[in-house]
Amino acid sequence: MAVAVAVGSVPLPLGSSLSSLAAAVGLPLGRPMSPPLEAVLWTVRLPRVLLAALVGGGLAVVGAALQSVFRNPMADSGLLGVGSGAALGAVLAVRLGWSAHTFLALPAAAFVGAMVAILAIYVLAHAAGRPSLQGLLLTGIAVSAVGSAGTSLLLVATEEFRVKTVLFWLAGGLEGRSWPHVQVGAALILPGFALLVALARPLDLLSLGADEAASLGLPVHAARLAIFAVAALVAGAATAVAGSVPFVGLIAPHALRPLVGPMGRRLLPASFLAGALLVVIADLGSRTLSDRLDLPLGSLTALVGAPYFVLALRGSEGQS
Amino acid sequence: MSGLLEARHVDVRRAGGLVLHDLSASLDEGEALALVGPNAAGKSTLVRTLAGLLRPESGSVLLEGRDLGQWSRDALARVVALVGADEGSGLLTVRDRVALGRYPHRGPFRPFDARDRAAVDRALELTGAGHLAGRRLETLSAGERQLAALARGLAQEPRVLLLDEPGAHLDIGHQLQLFRVLDGVRACGVAVLAVVHDLQRAASWADRMALLAGGRIAALGKPADVLSSDACSRAFGVEIRAHGAGLPYPLYSFEEVPK
Repeated sequence: MAVAVAVGSVPLPLGSSLSSLAAAVGLPLGRPMSPPLEAVLWTVRLPRVLLAALVGGGLAVVGAALQSVFRNPMADSGLLGVGSGAALGAVLAVRLGWSAHTFLALPAAAFVGAMVAILAIYVLAHAAGRPSLQGLLLTGIAVSAVGSAGTSLLLVATEEFRVKTVLFWLAGGLEGRSWPHVQVGAALILPGFALLVALARPLDLLSLGADEAASLGLPVHAARLAIFAVAALVAGAATAVAGSVPFVGLIAPHALRPLVGPMGRRLLPASFLAGALLVVIADLGSRTLSDRLDLPLGSLTALVGAPYFVLALRGSEGQS
Repeated sequence: MSGLLEARHVDVRRAGGLVLHDLSASLDEGEALALVGPNAAGKSTLVRTLAGLLRPESGSVLLEGRDLGQWSRDALARVVALVGADEGSGLLTVRDRVALGRYPHRGPFRPFDARDRAAVDRALELTGAGHLAGRRLETLSAGERQLAALARGLAQEPRVLLLDEPGAHLDIGHQLQLFRVLDGVRACGVAVLAVVHDLQRAASWADRMALLAGGRIAALGKPADVLSSDACSRAFGVEIRAHGAGLPYPLYSFEEVPK
């Protein structure tokens, strides 16, 4: 992470970056940096790296939790309609011109969109009695489709100069994010992470299947609902501040499960760390791989993540 | 006298309609009851109802004389264990799998203490799965996985153990091992009810046999009596003959009845 703080279009010396960080927590170590470089570190680089870590950790831990509930390694926050709901909210914010007033309007609208999508999925699936996992999945696909359709419609009806704002957000990225983004993200993602770790045992039981979980005394529907709610908050917050960052929620838990096992008390914290590291590195790549522009972070995780995932799945199918 | 676990005039409805009709049966401490019956007779439904997973539409299920509806979930799971099809992740180790059986005693937050460790060790020892403790489920044979699932049930330290087809997919060696483990469990005073498809195996293991057909108990009693009943022939559509007087238990032959 320190390396990620130091590297960028304005290079900062690693050693003095560290001393600057150390000085901030009251450790006088080494020579501090020149004030302009210090400003780059504190107002641009550090919030961006911290936000990358929060977003990556949040998405990975949500992926790990949903994979246990759905008992499927392909589950992630997309199943809850987070992505398409957030996209619709973001496009609305841009189309109606809210995002021109304050820079937090777009994330706020995206977050609200994600929450509305999740509620819609839950209410619709509930209309036919207690929803099965299958019912939730199918409703999720339907609601996501409606969300995407709405997004396309609005995009077509949006002025050209504004479309680019939306497209940039949809592609996922962290450029231009500042401390308020970090604060909002941290306020939702960190408590959500703590709650999911606290729910580790119910998660382990759910991964055994509903019957076995219920026969061990777990209130299955209530436990699922609690986990969906927390997962939705965390994924909604991550998507709101960073746009769409695909595959992190799939790859981090998938890579770690063989190493630390599927038990939540180890898998969830490990996934958080791995996801954080993954997105910090991906964001570093998105800032440095090209001189001319910041490559979209989401495109980068998809381009690297998708082939990895296909290979990993083929590998695991070969074994069974 | 009322049993440890007792169904009284139970009707259970599933999506398709009434699956169990006015069913009454009871299970006593330390008893081995084999539940047999043709496909779709309602065996799994009955087991799930006795475990408290399905609520009867009418009638009641009593555990220690108290209606299941009055038991809290975790209190119930400390007395009744259900072992069905094994669906856990293949990456779980056997020890972690078995330790999940301590959930009703620990809840979401109490740490794993010496009592839990002792219960898990005992369950592993009873099932003879101790040497597998560190292995991942995906590396086990079907028989070993079934033993691990059974050990999870025993780690709950239940007084009633319900098994849905524990011997399915097991070769004869593993079947005998499994039923020997169940005899050991029973000797500790645990009541064991198992759905068994192999009538010969059921007859040689159980104290009593319940024949379920069309959602009703069609015959209930000593295995030899149930198997020689007309109800049993009718339920399976086969003719059943007992052979070998003087053996510890009879050997049965089955022939299709021409329709």
